[in-house]
Amino acid sequence: MILSLKDLSFSYGERPALSGVSLELGRGEVLCVMGPNGSGKSTLIDCVMGLHPGYGGTVALDGSSIRGFSRREIARRVAYVPQTHTVTFPYTVREVVMMGRTAYLSAFGTPSGDGEELCERAMRRVGILDLADKPYNSISGGELRLVILARALCQDTQLILMDEPTAHLDYRNELVFLEIVSELCLEDGISILIATHSPDQAFYFESHGVPVSAMFLKKGVTAAAGSPSGIITAQLLEDVYGVRAKILESGGEKTILLQRSL
Amino acid sequence: MKKTGRAVILILIPVLCIAAALVIGRYSLGLADTVKALFSPADVPAENYRVVWFLRLPRAVAAAMCGAALAVSGAAFQGVFRNPLVNSGLLGVSNGAGFGACLAIVFLGGGAYTYVLSFVFALLAVVLSYFSGRVAKVTTSVTLILGGVIVSSFFSALISIMKYMADPYSQLPSITYWFMGSFASINYTHFYAFIPMAAGMLLIFLSRWRINVLSMGDKEAAALGVDVKRYKFLIVGGATLATASAVCISGTIGWVGLVVPHIGRMIVGNNNVKLIPVSISLGACFLTVMDILARNLTTAELPIGILCAIIGTPFFVYLLKKTRGGGWR
Repeated sequence: MILSLKDLSFSYGERPALSGVSLELGRGEVLCVMGPNGSGKSTLIDCVMGLHPGYGGTVALDGSSIRGFSRREIARRVAYVPQTHTVTFPYTVREVVMMGRTAYLSAFGTPSGDGEELCERAMRRVGILDLADKPYNSISGGELRLVILARALCQDTQLILMDEPTAHLDYRNELVFLEIVSELCLEDGISILIATHSPDQAFYFESHGVPVSAMFLKKGVTAAAGSPSGIITAQLLEDVYGVRAKILESGGEKTILLQRSL
Repeated sequence: MKKTGRAVILILIPVLCIAAALVIGRYSLGLADTVKALFSPADVPAENYRVVWFLRLPRAVAAAMCGAALAVSGAAFQGVFRNPLVNSGLLGVSNGAGFGACLAIVFLGGGAYTYVLSFVFALLAVVLSYFSGRVAKVTTSVTLILGGVIVSSFFSALISIMKYMADPYSQLPSITYWFMGSFASINYTHFYAFIPMAAGMLLIFLSRWRINVLSMGDKEAAALGVDVKRYKFLIVGGATLATASAVCISGTIGWVGLVVPHIGRMIVGNNNVKLIPVSISLGACFLTVMDILARNLTTAELPIGILCAIIGTPFFVYLLKKTRGGGWR
């Protein structure tokens, strides 16, 4: 297993954020983690990256527990695509993508030769090579997302964690992003954990032949886990989100029609 | 090849500025006389030898070192705190040093005590900033900066008390001049300050790639494999050492730490791998040239802090126009 969590728990002080969450993610698989705001999706991602040392249970990457791993050791196994990225300095796209090589540098090193090759390959992979020398504050929001994805690819890890990666993207850019994610799983065998607000994305992966599982969190506890079409029902959406919805099917593909909040 | 070429240029230009500082001055010395005084002091009048070796050279080298230290610390702080508007005085270094200098001038008669106390209080101010930011039990950049602002204003109040207590005919002018900055009284004993200054600059130089990554924010930097706490400590510590030792021998020289890194950004972009060495070189050139002007523009010497802002500002505006905002949109 590329990632396995056993009985993961974490609290912010007195307030529990996750309790008893277990999951497994194999090579080249996608896991969609869903749930309302504040249900613990981002905390789960932070725990997998080792940012909350006070967690309970086990987080194992490729079979070994991350306890005692240095930041560098973790970063060589798992990359991260954040929900939002604030641009402070107008670095070029190439410079930003290159930052993915940091975990492979010596303590005071700067990236060089072979890093540049990987960086170019990552940019080509997500189709932003033509932007390489532009300042990354001058590109569109959709392109920025791809730059951050390329940076994660440049990190050359088995696992990528994405925290609502398609938030703020328009229809087409969301689709482009999902297509690239599918390719990464099917062709490159990368495993991807996505925190998302859209169960439709889980259906998308399922109907496009990507090995995908879904998991719903509610108040830090697993509400359901399994294959998307197996667990996503009108009843589950009502329990987890408090919404009345219909699940429509057309030509084997499913989608959710929201009706009203309860 | 390209890299070596750039390194040579970055070293050569400040050296040329220092060379210019040796030739130019009120006491008229030609290029030939200067070279002779520099390399075969036995063959020249004692006066020439003294002017070159004991007045102009230590002063030019000190100006170059301080300029480099202030500029590179400013660049480092801007990156680590993800704020292009901050300078190396952010964590209270300047006001801490200022208070130390006042203390020395008012109670200990100035002199060497001024350097020692301003250095000690500059470091103390940063430590206080850190701990006053930490009372909230979290150490984020915001609490650290907030701590810096609070400690700065605390020391600024203490400075006012010292000014109020100071003798208005002898001590108050000394205090005022200290805050305008000057290299007029530099001699070789001040070179001891170069040890912490160079150490601080070296720490920043070595960590320059990590400054890029830290400017992505703490969480992303950690995800990219950077031990955020350790590198922030190294870089902020380095900048503090460099700034404190610069300020203690030159007095407050604002402007350099904020604007020179931006001039660097306009020339080579924001990648700190290039920007850090360029800031060192530019800062050195800038302050050396300003000190030449400070010595020569008028018969009485001008305080260098004033000159930096007066001459530097239009130059900065010119560059801003020339580079169409330098990438800022």
